[in-house]
Amino acid sequence: MTVATRVVDVDVHVGPGSIQPLLEYMEPYWADYVANAELFLSPTMNGLYPPAAFVPGGEEGTITSVPTTPEELREGLGDDRVAVLNCIVPFDTSHNPYYEAALCSGVNDWLRAHFLERDERLRGSLALPTLDPDAAVQEIERLGSHPGFVQVLLPIRTEVPYGNKRWHRVHDAAAQHGLVLGLHAWGRVANAPTASGFTHSYLEDYASNSQIVAQAHVTSLVSEGVFERTPDLKVALLECGFAWLPFLLWRFDKDWKGVWREVPWVKERPSAYVLRSFRFSTAPAQLPADPAVLARIPDLMPVTELLMYASDHPHRHGAGVDALLDLLDQDGREAVLSGNAASLYGL
Amino acid sequence: MADVQVTERELSRAERTIRLVDGDVHSTLMPASLHARLPRRWQRHLEQLGPRVAGAYAMFPRMRNGGFRIDARPEKGFPGSDLGLVQAQLLDEYDMDYAVLTPMQPQNFGGEAPELAAELCRATNDWTREEWVEQDARLLGSICPPHEHPDLAVKEIERIAGTERFVQVLLPATLEQGLGNRRYWPMLRAATEAGLPIALHTGGNEMHRGAGWPSYYLEMHVWNGNTMAMQLLSMICSGVFEEIPDLQVVSIECGIAWAASLSWAMDDAWRTFGEVETTRLRRPPSEYLREHFWFTTQPIEEPDEPEHLAFAFDALGMTDRILFSTDYPHWDFDAPGQTLPRSLSKEVKQKILAGNATRLYGLPR
Repeated sequence: MTVATRVVDVDVHVGPGSIQPLLEYMEPYWADYVANAELFLSPTMNGLYPPAAFVPGGEEGTITSVPTTPEELREGLGDDRVAVLNCIVPFDTSHNPYYEAALCSGVNDWLRAHFLERDERLRGSLALPTLDPDAAVQEIERLGSHPGFVQVLLPIRTEVPYGNKRWHRVHDAAAQHGLVLGLHAWGRVANAPTASGFTHSYLEDYASNSQIVAQAHVTSLVSEGVFERTPDLKVALLECGFAWLPFLLWRFDKDWKGVWREVPWVKERPSAYVLRSFRFSTAPAQLPADPAVLARIPDLMPVTELLMYASDHPHRHGAGVDALLDLLDQDGREAVLSGNAASLYGL
Repeated sequence: MADVQVTERELSRAERTIRLVDGDVHSTLMPASLHARLPRRWQRHLEQLGPRVAGAYAMFPRMRNGGFRIDARPEKGFPGSDLGLVQAQLLDEYDMDYAVLTPMQPQNFGGEAPELAAELCRATNDWTREEWVEQDARLLGSICPPHEHPDLAVKEIERIAGTERFVQVLLPATLEQGLGNRRYWPMLRAATEAGLPIALHTGGNEMHRGAGWPSYYLEMHVWNGNTMAMQLLSMICSGVFEEIPDLQVVSIECGIAWAASLSWAMDDAWRTFGEVETTRLRRPPSEYLREHFWFTTQPIEEPDEPEHLAFAFDALGMTDRILFSTDYPHWDFDAPGQTLPRSLSKEVKQKILAGNATRLYGLPR
């Protein structure tokens, strides 16, 4: 397929390879902490990206290799796109809020120096800590005005949903700096994904991102009136799927009609806030295999307004979004491949 | 006049095929009635120490008449506790052939000490039989086992199974672990060997969720389907359907349409990497979904375009496995004549209103 404009790829993973390059940006205490606790960055992100599962080619035993430099990135991904970089290394599992905040700052400085200031086609996400909203606000104030950062990055597996009151100051700071609230799959995997505890298979753990955890943040952000408080806040759900959205909104709109008096600050139908304020990356697409069923998806949700193309490089998910793109007209494809992201991130 | 009407109804019911079955009616066991049915030892225990588990209403208060239909409060007791009112407002009002009783109190019994949980469930099941099922031939019972203690749960299932008009084993949708966990398999096997489906009703004692706790009942209620999605996935991925091929599972009060996107997501993941890992599965996960699960309707999804719901049902491919339900006496009660969208064919509606339940539960005319 050809597009007139340059593709914007909203979920491209980069990382420092090891923790060592981050230490120069962190207080000396943390070098000592890391050395003596024998901390390292797990190449599989503590099991989120296991060997072989997501690597193009999928050879058994291959460790997922995340680009560590712009050159490696261009070599693997090509040279033709604008990319929004997500470094999810600080999706920490420790319960030390100070370490989590320091790791985020280290990653953000590293990303700025090694990518954003070396290639103008690259944009970055500002990683924020999940355990200390004050530290998250400080990080936005420290680096949020840098032109390379276009969104803040938080994991969906967390301790408190992102509509909760303790996050309101983070919403405000992000909106004031023109930053999108980017919520990415995975996160605190030491917390069980389901209300019935941990899963026993990777498939369940993986599916929980789209089928349960991301959806809880959608209902939380709307139910707590976040978009009435902070109307300019925009949310990108990254690597969380999207085909579940119409079914969630059918339930959400109906329930709101029934129990609206519990949440009087929700003044419009929940779907109105979601369609206006949320955008979704296209990987994983998790679409129906039956072409007749697939063909109806654009009737159920405005895909040409909501979706933003993502490769999730260097990971790979299933059959991808191409079959859905093939159903769209030229304008619709361009919106998904570049226009929606350009508009959301002000590119 | 009223007597004549009832007689005519009974006559017509005897001659006609089954036209209306309600898959989710909450009979409510009053605390004093429960207490009176316990051995003295456990009465003393509860008097001195109380229960260990907070109820669902304490975690997510319902800001609409306490969560109940405004007209469903009897003169004495909680909504759902008075057989006469249930008959008048539900069974007679809609001329129902059958209604499946789903008491909710045992959802919280699961977290109690094993022996206490077993006594609480025994008391509940005896109460269901004596005060409901034996009082009205339209009522169908659910066996509530001490579900976190599967060895005791097996005993309770075996004690009640075979009792006339007890048609399923009822568990909460949220347990201490995913229901695919092997420790639950003896309980699932006991139900299946007794010829009974298991039913999972939304609710139960929840662990911390992956996104953390929500603030509102609204969020908790919208999320019913997501909780159930993970239980279905837990069971499918565990391989329990290869182990117990006749196991049938009813999802109660969690919606339906979301299962279509779940089936797409799990098949996509299985094709990508799951075949290596989930070695117990011989086929794509959605095939187990279609062969082993059933869904009750209330609270049915309501898209702006009613036709979209028919599409979702078709995409899911399970209209033979959808069971009508009202959720009496809760605030979001669905009335039989006003729930199923126009977009469903007459044939599909008849299956949902009665035919599917008749088949699943083996109901006599």
